[in-house]
Amino acid sequence: METLTLLGQGFAVALTPLNLTLLLIGCFVGTLIGAMPGLGPVNGVAILIPLTFAFGFEPVSSLILLSAVYYGCMYGGRISSILLNIPGDEPAVMTTLDGFPMARRGQASEALAISGVASFIGATVATIGLTLFAPLLARAAIHFGPADYFALYLMAFATIGGLSGIDPRKTLLSALVGLMIATVGLDPSTGIPRFTFGSFHLYDGIEPIVALIGLFAISEVLLLLEKSLAEVKDGLRVKTRLPDFRVIAATLWTTARGSVIGFVAGILPGAGASLGSVMSYSLEKQLKDRDGSFGTGDPRGVAAPEAGNNAASGGALIPMLSLGVPGSGTTAVMLAMLISLNVQPGPLLFERQPELVWGLVASLYLANVMLLILNIPLIGIFTRLLMIPTWSLMPLVVAISFVGVYSISNSTFDLKVMIAFGLLGYLFRKLDISLVPLVLGLLLGIDMENNLRRALSISAGDYSILIESPISIALYALTALLLSVSTYLALRDRRRDRERAGNAAAGSGTP
Amino acid sequence: MDENGGRHDSGLGNRLVAAAVFVVAAAYTVTGRGYTASFGDVLGPSVFPTMVGIPAMLLSGLIALFPGGRTSWPARHRLFRQTVAVVILVAYAYLLQPLGFPIATGLLIGSVAWLMGGPPLGSVLLGALAAPALYLLFDRVLGLPLDLLGRWFG
Repeated sequence: METLTLLGQGFAVALTPLNLTLLLIGCFVGTLIGAMPGLGPVNGVAILIPLTFAFGFEPVSSLILLSAVYYGCMYGGRISSILLNIPGDEPAVMTTLDGFPMARRGQASEALAISGVASFIGATVATIGLTLFAPLLARAAIHFGPADYFALYLMAFATIGGLSGIDPRKTLLSALVGLMIATVGLDPSTGIPRFTFGSFHLYDGIEPIVALIGLFAISEVLLLLEKSLAEVKDGLRVKTRLPDFRVIAATLWTTARGSVIGFVAGILPGAGASLGSVMSYSLEKQLKDRDGSFGTGDPRGVAAPEAGNNAASGGALIPMLSLGVPGSGTTAVMLAMLISLNVQPGPLLFERQPELVWGLVASLYLANVMLLILNIPLIGIFTRLLMIPTWSLMPLVVAISFVGVYSISNSTFDLKVMIAFGLLGYLFRKLDISLVPLVLGLLLGIDMENNLRRALSISAGDYSILIESPISIALYALTALLLSVSTYLALRDRRRDRERAGNAAAGSGTP
Repeated sequence: MDENGGRHDSGLGNRLVAAAVFVVAAAYTVTGRGYTASFGDVLGPSVFPTMVGIPAMLLSGLIALFPGGRTSWPARHRLFRQTVAVVILVAYAYLLQPLGFPIATGLLIGSVAWLMGGPPLGSVLLGALAAPALYLLFDRVLGLPLDLLGRWFG
């Protein structure tokens, strides 16, 4: 009941003319960014952060704008997946598997409509989940002491790449590099400059947003430059006709299952939207793929990953808002924005700034409705925008990134830092080292160190305080559990790959 | 050869980057150990960097010795294109204040567009139109102060 009252107050915040306008703009821009091949939500939100500072809105308005962009990207990502077979970001990869074959069969309208409805249901389920569970988690997290937070951060780092099956050494190393970068600047408790090489530019540390834009946007440009430029986009023309609603109705159960799975995947630390779409797709395939139609344009193969990825992006907001520990790349970027706006996410946020939390939640409900409207009848606008060639789009992205970064401090030093991070991001991405742990380390490093130092100040230097409280013991146990599950999955995947490689080699001899 | 015309190495890329990270982490740890403060909390400013630096050294050392995964490096002409792009970006950082926002940004947009395979005339036009438009949008509409003419012309 209390939640409903708070949500009502949230709607009062979200329904002000300014916030509604921002919401609409955010949804539109987000869908656009998501639909552009190569520009995912992380890029989109990162580039827009400095610009929202420039507008000088209240934190709640900035947050509403960027969350609308975030949700919009998740909707938009499916458009280029279905029509061009080019996923805008990682979670959209699964949508290409059945979406593109459907489009090639002339069912592009159906595929877009199914994915639109699935996105809507997935995101709505997640938003309801967010409404119910985020306050509960925040209430539990209020009992966290410094040692517990230290354990929580450790869990976040140890499990972030966890279920992705990538070399766990690389994920951990990425987090450690992020922590190293986070310690650059004046030490918060003693004021001693650390790792500044005598440069006063570094006394304030590395501005996370500058690093983020370099890591994601600049490295994206470098990656694009090594792909073949002659890459032909054989975009499919979509006739704006009404989709067949029976096809959509047939996928509703799939969508419901995908939404729940995606939501759970989204809450897990470090998993995020990619896991949501992968899990929903593979589960649906195992459950329902009796005739082998998945992968050849089965409508359920479009509904499942879209519901999963949108539900996961909503679920990922729960740990970000109530614990201050983001679960995905985009929520990490949003955390960076909140920190820059002097809003500290975590349990206290729900007590001290309920209007911000609930205004955001309410606007997410509204964003979903707007996005459904934008994405079903108005889909033609977005499909036409896909024809914009990369050579004219990416230079503008670069220029806007530079303006945004320059506007933060009006110093060209930040531009150079951004370029350096662009190179670092490019190298790491080439080596399959995920950038999300690095970003998490960069964002949470100072807090992690402060909590450690606070805990040891309480115990006068006795390290056993770190494993004294039941909360931290539970967190360490959970970390161990998640790590063993992820190790198991990584080993299983490797074995499976090897078997598949073996089968392929054996099969190629006898066609 | 992969689909982009590049070549796969046999883990050399992993080794090199991991070795570089190792060197940085080692320098970081050594430097970090040297920070002392006679006041403040029990832990002081050097413990956390050590806690981060040593595992970073271990992990990067491990990857350098036993690299996981291979890297596909871009073909030479594409690597050249990337290098030119980085030079353009760095040049922009140095030329923004001397040239002023519209001119520097126009050059940036035009050259990056051309580098990404845009037609020469189209790239020039894009730079010539988009840069003033961005200036008007950010400086006039959104109120972000940007240099119009820069040090050399102003």
